[in-house]
Amino acid sequence: MGLAILVGTRKGLFVLRGDDDRREWTVDEPLLAGWDVFHAIKHEDDLYVAANNFVYGATVQRSSDLGKTWERSEQLELPEGSELTLEKTWHVEPGGNGTFWLGGAPGVLFRSNDKGASWEPVRSLIEHPTRERWNPGAGGMCTHSIQIDPENDQTMYVAISAAGVFRSDDGGETWAPKNKGTAADFMPDDPFPEVGQCVHKLLLHPAKPERLWQQNHCGVYRSDDRGDNWERLEDNGLPSGFGFPIALHPTDPDVAYVVPNGDGENRVTADGRLGVYKTTDGGQSWKLASNGLPEQAWAVVLRENLAYDSLDPSGVYLGTQSGSVFVSPNEGEEWIEAASQLPPILSVEVAEWQ
Amino acid sequence: MAVTVLLPSLLAEQAGGQRQFELEVPTVGAALRALPVRDLLFDERDELRPLVNVYVDGTDARERGGLEAELEGGETIRVVAAVAGG
Repeated sequence: MGLAILVGTRKGLFVLRGDDDRREWTVDEPLLAGWDVFHAIKHEDDLYVAANNFVYGATVQRSSDLGKTWERSEQLELPEGSELTLEKTWHVEPGGNGTFWLGGAPGVLFRSNDKGASWEPVRSLIEHPTRERWNPGAGGMCTHSIQIDPENDQTMYVAISAAGVFRSDDGGETWAPKNKGTAADFMPDDPFPEVGQCVHKLLLHPAKPERLWQQNHCGVYRSDDRGDNWERLEDNGLPSGFGFPIALHPTDPDVAYVVPNGDGENRVTADGRLGVYKTTDGGQSWKLASNGLPEQAWAVVLRENLAYDSLDPSGVYLGTQSGSVFVSPNEGEEWIEAASQLPPILSVEVAEWQ
Repeated sequence: MAVTVLLPSLLAEQAGGQRQFELEVPTVGAALRALPVRDLLFDERDELRPLVNVYVDGTDARERGGLEAELEGGETIRVVAAVAGG
């Protein structure tokens, strides 16, 4: 089987191709050159890309021939009465029964039942009664995380910066805030509000779907009850609770990886190095897992810049704004630089590639 | 008589590789709306995106009445992205 890393950059989508060893990678010419590729996935035989352009707006693009040709979805439209206009597309996620979900800014969600040819705005989130208490983060008010329970596709989660985590138990018809125990330290008058948390990335464990992880502006958290309660995981080996991406392990729900920043005011990696931290005990303790990563670095690592594969041992993938892609073929034991000198990287995902 | 519309390369790729269009249309707006990249030129409220510039025979379309500017036929309309950003 061949593997590919789909690397979304400020200047198009790069495909890095490798084999099961995950030690040698080749870089192909960029696809969708000229587009800011916020996120790209391969689902079955098709590529789906959240692609934005400074002049021409926010789009979703699909290719059924591995990027040789592209089809742009019908124009994305928010409800006219909402007084909202679409700013960016952020994240594409396949759901059950051929459904696809699309997150975007300002804090919006779309659903497609035709493989991304057209998208319907999800009014229940757009018109959520708490919306007036949501605020944009530094990257805009983005719906950046969409997670579907693999055992019950009616249960799904979105995370919005800075609105927090929301869960739907009815396939997106209604949404409940799920932020109990997650802090908003930047709101000193109400540090544990119902909504308004600045969640940076949310992931569900595929083998234990009641377990969620989030990297937040204010700490790393784990929930073991579908987001009803969150435990802050700190003072346990991490240099800082502030970071953007998080990655998991395909079968072991106690494993996670984060890339802490020094703090929220200077958003580069902590301690002047590119440090990936790994837990194997559900976040009770974290250890540096950076063998092979630059020991002197002030890297910028965005929320979509970690990914993991489902091989054994699991591979972990890391992108930086300085245009490097690093691969650990063995669960963080060592890292290899798979590519460098790419444009600023916005996202990495891994896919099977023939 | 038809007018000619020329697209920059990024838009031409989004139009299936076609860079030049010959259209029988009465106005500049009608020309732009007839293109297969209409959604990239106009936002969801049907407003021309602010960084899309349009020139008719070398003159900024705004100076000729904007989207409502009438066409006689034979004009060349060039779509140009404003030079902005990084």
